[in-house]
Amino acid sequence: MVASPLAPPARFAWRLDDDGVSSRLEFGDGLAEIDGVLVRGTAWLDPTGWAPEDHAYMQAEMLAATLAWLAGLQCPVVNRPSAALWYRDRASLLTWRRALRRCGLTTPEQVVTNDPAAARAFGRRLEGAGLAGAVYSPLTSDANYLVATPAAWQSLTDLQERAPVCVSEPHGATLPACVVGGRVVWDDGATPETLALEARLIRLASSTGLDFLEVVTAPLRSGPGVVMVEPMPVLEHFTPAARSRILDALADLLVPVGAGTEAIR
Amino acid sequence: MILVCGGLADGVTEFVCARLEHRGYPYRLLDLATYPAGYSVAWTWNATGVTGTITGPEWALDLDDITGAYVRFIGPEGRVSRPGDAEAAGALQFEADAGLLAFVEDVPFPVVNRVGGGMSNNSKPYQSLLLRRAGLAVPATLVTSDPEAVRDFQSEHPHLIYKSTSGIRSIVRRLGPDQRARLDFLRDGPAQFQAFVPGRNVRVHTVGDCVFATLIETEAVDYRYASRDGLDIAMRPVRLPAAIRDACLRVARELDLLFAGIDLKETPDGDYVCFEVNPCPGFTYYERHTGQPISTALANLLNGTPHAA
Repeated sequence: MVASPLAPPARFAWRLDDDGVSSRLEFGDGLAEIDGVLVRGTAWLDPTGWAPEDHAYMQAEMLAATLAWLAGLQCPVVNRPSAALWYRDRASLLTWRRALRRCGLTTPEQVVTNDPAAARAFGRRLEGAGLAGAVYSPLTSDANYLVATPAAWQSLTDLQERAPVCVSEPHGATLPACVVGGRVVWDDGATPETLALEARLIRLASSTGLDFLEVVTAPLRSGPGVVMVEPMPVLEHFTPAARSRILDALADLLVPVGAGTEAIR
Repeated sequence: MILVCGGLADGVTEFVCARLEHRGYPYRLLDLATYPAGYSVAWTWNATGVTGTITGPEWALDLDDITGAYVRFIGPEGRVSRPGDAEAAGALQFEADAGLLAFVEDVPFPVVNRVGGGMSNNSKPYQSLLLRRAGLAVPATLVTSDPEAVRDFQSEHPHLIYKSTSGIRSIVRRLGPDQRARLDFLRDGPAQFQAFVPGRNVRVHTVGDCVFATLIETEAVDYRYASRDGLDIAMRPVRLPAAIRDACLRVARELDLLFAGIDLKETPDGDYVCFEVNPCPGFTYYERHTGQPISTALANLLNGTPHAA
């Protein structure tokens, strides 16, 4: 486990020429022989000893080099990041909607607005459909707040004076699923309705180039849908039995049968 | 109706607006210097996509009426600072921008440019992999934190340049004796080196299916900084070989860029080598030097008007 594989004291060389791409990575104890890479973060450079502006530059350099290294490795990389994924700070459900829609997956209705009347109208529409209110979800955090009382709506209105807010249709109890290597591992409690999403979830993983993907499903007004997408799955979201199945599938992905070791290509 | 999201103080956005005026294409400016102050947005995402309105000073725009959007984000220096606590103001601006980003990524009309495709420009070597995959030759490249690897690379390619691996401080310089003496500093973090490619710089702008190639003649290693280095620069339109033209269009398409600035070099042997793709090209420099109708093609694209070659 390495927090930032290319950071000092590692010695790193990545080459692209007429023969293609090759790379070499040495840690303190010699050449790293790499059979597979599980990516659980981006790159990080210790700021100690750096002036802030120089550290920001070197951090950007480290991120850029690490992305190219991961993209060029011939061994399994889970997930092999795209630039869009690598440089995205946090991806709200809004940013996944286009991909989800293309795969035929339902998502909750969402409104982004700084117009209090538009937010209230959305809330009334939801209440008319028998829902308790709307859910306010800041796009830059994981928090969710139910907006169902006059005081909560007033707080939302106050916030809208400063910035547009994102409010969503509330959903029922969540059920996480993990797409790993073209298989879907459900947490306990999958129903025939949620199981029917499997082909579309696999299509989502395939179309986004993600071999390892957590998707949280939940009942919506229009049926079971997706309420969260996490390209860096959190095993703690799953029961021990599901976790074990995910890890088995992940291990198969990282070290395919018959795979060789990659040191210098 | 065309939506322009940018800062009026930004010369490129101002130029685009001027061209739209000149062509008689109606547009509305969402001024990112002040957004969201002064604007009202109401965007609804449902099963079919996003619908809604943007209301600005003395205008209101239904998304269904938009033919195209030109988006050029600006840095914090271009923003009007918000009153109150700076940290809270920054967080709220970040939240407002996140909503706007999600919006431009998902709207059904053409956007110049959606943000996702342009992210590759933050990692030059990563982008080189994509360029190569799209069929363009790229220079021999080394990214390393190992001084010895640079010396080995230079034994194969005697003339090297170095430049940023990321999109920051990306000025191209030759690797000379002064820099070679400082190679041990590489141990603090990797840098990018490339075989120097002799020849003539060609800047290509792709606008939808239109291609504008500009030949740049100068002695400078990085022509963008020629005047700073006291060197002359001359530009003129040039015709690209069909295969290179097609590859440029393919790269732009694969990166989901309706408008791209592609840096090439034509070698003395007549080959073309690609250095990078800029997803937010400051094309006015080239248009002013050559009169190439880049902004007209852009205006036509945004208005949904076919562009006559």
